Amino acid sequence: MKLEGEYTFNGPREEVWKIMRDPDVLVTALPGTKSMKQVSENEYDGEVNIRIGPISGSFNGKLTVSNEIPPESITLTIEGKGKVGFLKGAGDVELIDRGDGTTLMRYNGEVQVGGKVASVGQRLFDTVSKSMIKQGLDKLNETLQDRGVR
Amino acid sequence: MTKQFIGKRIKRNEDPRLLTGQALFVDDVEIPGMLHAAFLRCDYAHARILSIDVSAARERPGVVAVFTAEDMGKDWEPGPPLVSPPPTLQGVTFHSRRQAPLVKDKVRHAGETVAVVIAESRYIAEDAVEDISVEYDPLPVIVDLGKALEPDSPLVHDDLDSNLAAHLYQQKGNYEAAKAQADVVIKKRFYLDRGAAVAMENRGIVAHWDEKSKQLIIWDTTQAPIAIRNGTAVRLGLSENQVRVIAPYIGGGFGPKMMMFYPEEILIPWVSMKLCRPVKWIEDRRENFYATTSEREQLHDVEMALTKEGRIMGLKDDFLHDTGAFDPYGLTLPLNTQCHLMGGYDIENFSSNCTAIFTNKPIVTPVRGAGRQQGIYVIERMVDFAAKELAIDPLEIRKKNFIPPDAFPYNNVIVDQAFAPLILDSGNYLPVYEKAVEMIGYEQFVKEEQPRLRAEGKHVGIAITPFIETTGVGPYEGARVQIETSGKVYVSSGYSTQGQGHFTSFAQIVSEQLGVAVSDVRIVTGDTAEFHWGTGTFASRGAVVVGNAVHAAASAVRQKVLKLASKVLATPEDALELEDGKVRIADIPHTSISLGELAALANPLRGAVEPGTEPGLEATDYFGPQYGATAFGTHAMIIEVDTETMMIEIKRYIAVEDCGRVLNPLIVDGQIHGGVSMGIGNAYYEKLHFDENGQILNASLADYLIVTAYEMPPRIEIGHGETLSPLSKLGTKGVGEAGAIPVPALFAQALENALLDYDLEILETPLSPNRLFELLYKS
Repeated sequence: MKLEGEYTFNGPREEVWKIMRDPDVLVTALPGTKSMKQVSENEYDGEVNIRIGPISGSFNGKLTVSNEIPPESITLTIEGKGKVGFLKGAGDVELIDRGDGTTLMRYNGEVQVGGKVASVGQRLFDTVSKSMIKQGLDKLNETLQDRGVR
Repeated sequence: MTKQFIGKRIKRNEDPRLLTGQALFVDDVEIPGMLHAAFLRCDYAHARILSIDVSAARERPGVVAVFTAEDMGKDWEPGPPLVSPPPTLQGVTFHSRRQAPLVKDKVRHAGETVAVVIAESRYIAEDAVEDISVEYDPLPVIVDLGKALEPDSPLVHDDLDSNLAAHLYQQKGNYEAAKAQADVVIKKRFYLDRGAAVAMENRGIVAHWDEKSKQLIIWDTTQAPIAIRNGTAVRLGLSENQVRVIAPYIGGGFGPKMMMFYPEEILIPWVSMKLCRPVKWIEDRRENFYATTSEREQLHDVEMALTKEGRIMGLKDDFLHDTGAFDPYGLTLPLNTQCHLMGGYDIENFSSNCTAIFTNKPIVTPVRGAGRQQGIYVIERMVDFAAKELAIDPLEIRKKNFIPPDAFPYNNVIVDQAFAPLILDSGNYLPVYEKAVEMIGYEQFVKEEQPRLRAEGKHVGIAITPFIETTGVGPYEGARVQIETSGKVYVSSGYSTQGQGHFTSFAQIVSEQLGVAVSDVRIVTGDTAEFHWGTGTFASRGAVVVGNAVHAAASAVRQKVLKLASKVLATPEDALELEDGKVRIADIPHTSISLGELAALANPLRGAVEPGTEPGLEATDYFGPQYGATAFGTHAMIIEVDTETMMIEIKRYIAVEDCGRVLNPLIVDGQIHGGVSMGIGNAYYEKLHFDENGQILNASLADYLIVTAYEMPPRIEIGHGETLSPLSKLGTKGVGEAGAIPVPALFAQALENALLDYDLEILETPLSPNRLFELLYKS
């Protein structure tokens, strides 16, 4: 399934970049994230709880960062599995300085799911993932404001 | 003369029990001390198993045992092949690959069984399944039939060079020579996708090994109890007579329950013996989508050679057939497809390569129609395109090409799924076709109604599709008929019943021979303790193969009755008649003896049974045809398409069927209703959506759209032909699958006709409102 969209942060690109690369911030921002731990320079292990309609369960997985061009773009690869299925995906994230103190994020990726999440949760997956992404980005934006960045 | 029962519209013997909830289904079986099983199934469609850790599951309170492939030790082996490849065909390639009860090394389709948990309740077992942790190495997945033979495709079976499961070639005459003579050659490519059988009752098994009596009883939703008994005995090292398989009432079979052995069918009895406890497993709906077989994905490249007058000179079809990850059912489906590619037409030259392909998808075995839909779809589509190309009326081109009635038995030269020659035993296609044309009012519709409705902006279309169906194949079935001292008749057979009305149709055959009420005949099927021999419920063969066995056994009992009654009543046999449960003297009706009294006399407590005779009024007989009886019919339909929503409304639906002698028109009508409903699903609603990872994206009844009353036409108008099969005394042919067979071809024709202004060319099935929308936008 394709995931793509845009989001505007109320802050400069460098700050958005910093916050995005901070695992302590990410663990609070991504909905359902129970833990996230940096295991090497570009790898994070984590546990995320996901609820899609009648299906809920936790996924253990790995997030890998590559093609990093601070503060412009980054590629994220995730791979996870749990009792209710598995998921893997990759996406490119781009940050564009709007020149007015705001930053436009563009993301474009593809995620594949299997198991119960796919066979029973399929028709809700699109909506749920979009809303999870929005919640996460809103939270990041809030953190950005809380840090007094403007 | 005895009263007639055959051909009468008699209400079903089984319905009071079914309708009041008094019929035994597998899940109704409760045994003290019974344990419950749940399976760990792999989510990946293709993955190597690196490690399995079941320790946490074993520790969960209430869990009795957990088994993996390793735990099975020397008892682990793949299931037996169900059908061997055709020995009579030269140059056949066939790689037999069968599923193991639990995966040891590599998972080949999502839903394969990796471990089984046995617990005090299903709840505990399901929770314990989640305690198991498996480390997988996911492998690239091959889903796409058209790409599976490419050199860089992932291999489903590593020991093979490619994903080719089987290849065979069949021909009749010389297609290339016919093509060289032809005025026109039409070429098309068709893609037919998968649907599920969706029986209301999923699969279920209860196994009870009794350590003291050394008896194993298995309740199983199988269509083949005798074969399951025999195979289980071999697998578990038991005598066949230590195993009793009961296939009780079953909520729909449709073919997938003929598949054997499913992993669970081997495991549950094996576990029961290991633990010396009864064990139950009932499949849930999601398991059913992955673990129960499904059907119909094929890719056809077809050529038809014709004269300019529309006479078909030859047909060539090279097709790929998706067999899923294993091929336990041999070549049954692609052979059925090949045998229906010529439909009911007199085609002298035929050439067909069939290639079966392994993919990382669930196993493919017959589903109601069993490869026949695909053949009929291809030929009927091709005839439609030929009519269009040659500007010939679609009715005329069919009439011109039907096999004429005096050409039967018609030898089609190629071999069928039973490796017997494809001989169409009997047929008279034109009257049945014309009856459908007349019933739907074709002339009036196309000349008056359709132009009027089109002028109003309505998209209405008409379609008329003939078909044939090979039914009633061997090898054999048997029956035992016994008159009890109560005067009631007991009949047993090794067949099994999933809702076909066997307890009534077979009873009618007995009633006609013995002059007893249909309700006084008790039929028992699906219990190996009651009858030891048989094959199984498949290929629309009940009315033909069991029907004629019942007829033969009942006739033999009738002879015994007459012989004994002649002695008792001191009257010659030909002066006697059987009526109302009595034998009476035809011209002195008040002088009679009841069948019950005769049964008692036939089993005396004193005196001697004479040498050369047997006690009781009982006989066993068998019927095994050399080849099948070919039924046929024509369906017709008028539909209206809403071009905003692409939803369709079936305005009228006509089914004219010729299944030889009709035993009970009420039951035949019911079979046609069920078949048509399944066919409508196959044509316009039901499709298993696989993603590129071999995941089914609609594995629930919320997302997989089965046909409901809303999608059905308000009425199915049924007509009957009655061309008797010369192959049996009863002259019966099968009708269980017929209703589903022509429907996808019929839909394609109707949609093209309704959407004439869009110049639509339909080359695929199943369609759906979504898919039709895409096709219309493309054109």
